[in-house]
Amino acid sequence: MAVNEIRSKYFRLPQTVEVIRSNIIKYGNPLALTGPEVASWAKGLDLPTQGDVLFYTGGEYQLIPFIDSLVQTMLKMDQGSRSFSVMMGLRNLMDKAGISAEKLYASVLAKDRERFSLIPYKAAAVLKELGLDFCYLGEEEIYSGALLYEFGFWNDLERHAEKVASLIKNTGAQTIVCLSPHAAEIFKLVYPKLVEGFEIEVKTFVEAVSELAENNAGGLPCGFSGKVVVHDACRMARELEITEEIREILARMNAVTVLEAEQNRRWTTCCGGPSKVLFPEISSQIACQRAHELEETGADLVLTFCPYCMASVDKGIRDTKKDIRLEDFIEFLYRGIA
Amino acid sequence: MSTPLEVIFKNYTAELNKAASDDNIQLALFRAVKSYRDNTRSALERFPHTVQLAEEVLEIKKESIKRMDELVAQARESIEANNGKTYFAKTRDDALKLASDIIGTGKIVVKGKSILGEELEVREHLIEKGNEVWESDLGEFILQLRHDRPMHIVSPSIHVPREQVAKVFTEFFGRPIEPDIAKEVAAVKEFLRNKYFTADFGMSGANVVAADTGAIVIIENEGNVRICTGVPPVHVALVGIEKVVPTFQEAMKVAEVTWRYANYTVPGYINIISGPSKTGDIEKVTTYGAHGPGEFHVIFVDNGRTKMAQEDLFRQGLYCLRCGGCMYECPVFQQVAGYFGYRYLGGIGAIWTAFVAGGLENAAPLVYTCLRCGRCVERCPVGIDVPSMIIELRRKIVAVGYSA
Repeated sequence: MAVNEIRSKYFRLPQTVEVIRSNIIKYGNPLALTGPEVASWAKGLDLPTQGDVLFYTGGEYQLIPFIDSLVQTMLKMDQGSRSFSVMMGLRNLMDKAGISAEKLYASVLAKDRERFSLIPYKAAAVLKELGLDFCYLGEEEIYSGALLYEFGFWNDLERHAEKVASLIKNTGAQTIVCLSPHAAEIFKLVYPKLVEGFEIEVKTFVEAVSELAENNAGGLPCGFSGKVVVHDACRMARELEITEEIREILARMNAVTVLEAEQNRRWTTCCGGPSKVLFPEISSQIACQRAHELEETGADLVLTFCPYCMASVDKGIRDTKKDIRLEDFIEFLYRGIA
Repeated sequence: MSTPLEVIFKNYTAELNKAASDDNIQLALFRAVKSYRDNTRSALERFPHTVQLAEEVLEIKKESIKRMDELVAQARESIEANNGKTYFAKTRDDALKLASDIIGTGKIVVKGKSILGEELEVREHLIEKGNEVWESDLGEFILQLRHDRPMHIVSPSIHVPREQVAKVFTEFFGRPIEPDIAKEVAAVKEFLRNKYFTADFGMSGANVVAADTGAIVIIENEGNVRICTGVPPVHVALVGIEKVVPTFQEAMKVAEVTWRYANYTVPGYINIISGPSKTGDIEKVTTYGAHGPGEFHVIFVDNGRTKMAQEDLFRQGLYCLRCGGCMYECPVFQQVAGYFGYRYLGGIGAIWTAFVAGGLENAAPLVYTCLRCGRCVERCPVGIDVPSMIIELRRKIVAVGYSA
């Protein structure tokens, strides 16, 4: 046996990592959601596929309810080695564990599915309302590959990034607005190192709103009155250094009082999301800890800015039965418009 | 079928989940994190120059690691000139052999806390060679009796509440010890007093070493290191080669930043040892071993540090002062303490595990446990970028496992 063969035989990562990797490579999405599943929110909106600004969901908000459903299903199925069998990915799960993807789809509560799949729609509506024109890749859109980077599969990422970059290039966009800070981070900090000539301007949804709001003298519509607490997303606060934009937007809303968690801004506490794949128990405990920190502020509502934060902290609040509600910032802004 | 790495992951995860559901750990960590943050805040308020001093220390460490070989050579010359003896160990085995050659067998050894000691598992080795070895740091002593491993680098027995300490002590001392912290401390003090004065060797680590004077600096609060290094006839110090800085003045700066970020305004004791005890009071004739040790042996240990220094991204790992601040800020550590670790703990521990103690396979589960959330970087006095090193280690792990 060649040295490489021996090494790879003895040095494999847990299956879940492999499954996510192959889902991204094969289906363009960590949970193997298909194009129509990711893009259904845009049906009837007739968004153009070309334009100066590209609206990018990466399918990340859309896949959230399926992650939790998979974790729940696998926890029930396989108590013994659950850490290694969660999140196998719908299609792969069907092959490996004999669970049908359709059953899993069915097990996701309709209200959850609707809530998360509506988020891209709401984000689009907010940006439209603030006067931004943009294009969208629709069913062609694929995931940024951030998890390939996180898990160490850089060769795969390089190939995947070429595909993503070429799709982006075909839209003719000069600016990309990302709903997930993880996508923004990888486009901004990693893609330029991997893809020659990748020079697109990258913005998070928050930055886009912040800039549009500045141009709108009339202030921002707000459908909420009460106390909110900001859960800064790690990558957004530390890598992308976006903290004050959020507070400035909220300061424009008269009926909103912003309370600060003790651990906030660059000192924010992680939601536990990153370890959901390999260490779901630890992940869930970290989420509960964060829910506790946020509730302590006495706020009525937690605001999140990332799909994984949204899912983790929301679950942390439910698990600890905290008396506080959670909305993603996109949902929060949409209320004022709807 | 599981590969060996999957088995390592599986066992590690089982331990991790067990720790996460251990109420003692949860409670202890909750309290410890709160007091760490409160103490550090007030220490930095009282001594606000520390933040700028930390920036200076980063520059000192950068320069020192760049000149590591040269500074170790200079430190050895200085110590030898002070009539101490020095040794260089390339590997763990070399270090253990040097230590047991000096100490031999059938001896009593009292030992201060040393992370390098944990890395080498020197206590276990010396016991195996037929010696009686006592950890004198209270936390380490408790762990020695429990056959447990450290859960934090500054407060190793952070996870053991007083009730459990009382149970272990009652069994060990053969008389009832109440779960009263003062009484528990007194029992150990009484027991170790006897050991200090009958010990053949005192052993310690070092927080920082000055190349120009050969002074090794050891920060402590209990006073145990002071006795361990001052009473027995021979003192053996284990020093990682990354600990050497050019001058005595710089060593003091490193020490001050270390204790302040370890949440102390000022530590109880700062030991500075440059050679064996000596006197010239009778006829100006220098005689060694006046009151303290007549022999001073310093073993400098590489064990993977040079390799770490050679890699541009990982070199910063050697800047670590071991203040332990990052661990208190780590969301995973807050749930499971040192179970997120191997010999070295937490995110920075994953890097040290890969290079120094454990290898890439034992580092792998730690490397994938790190959330890469980056709060450790905010706390670190020298701004060590653990998340960037973690992502590079993941790339390395994948490159090994998936290259075929």
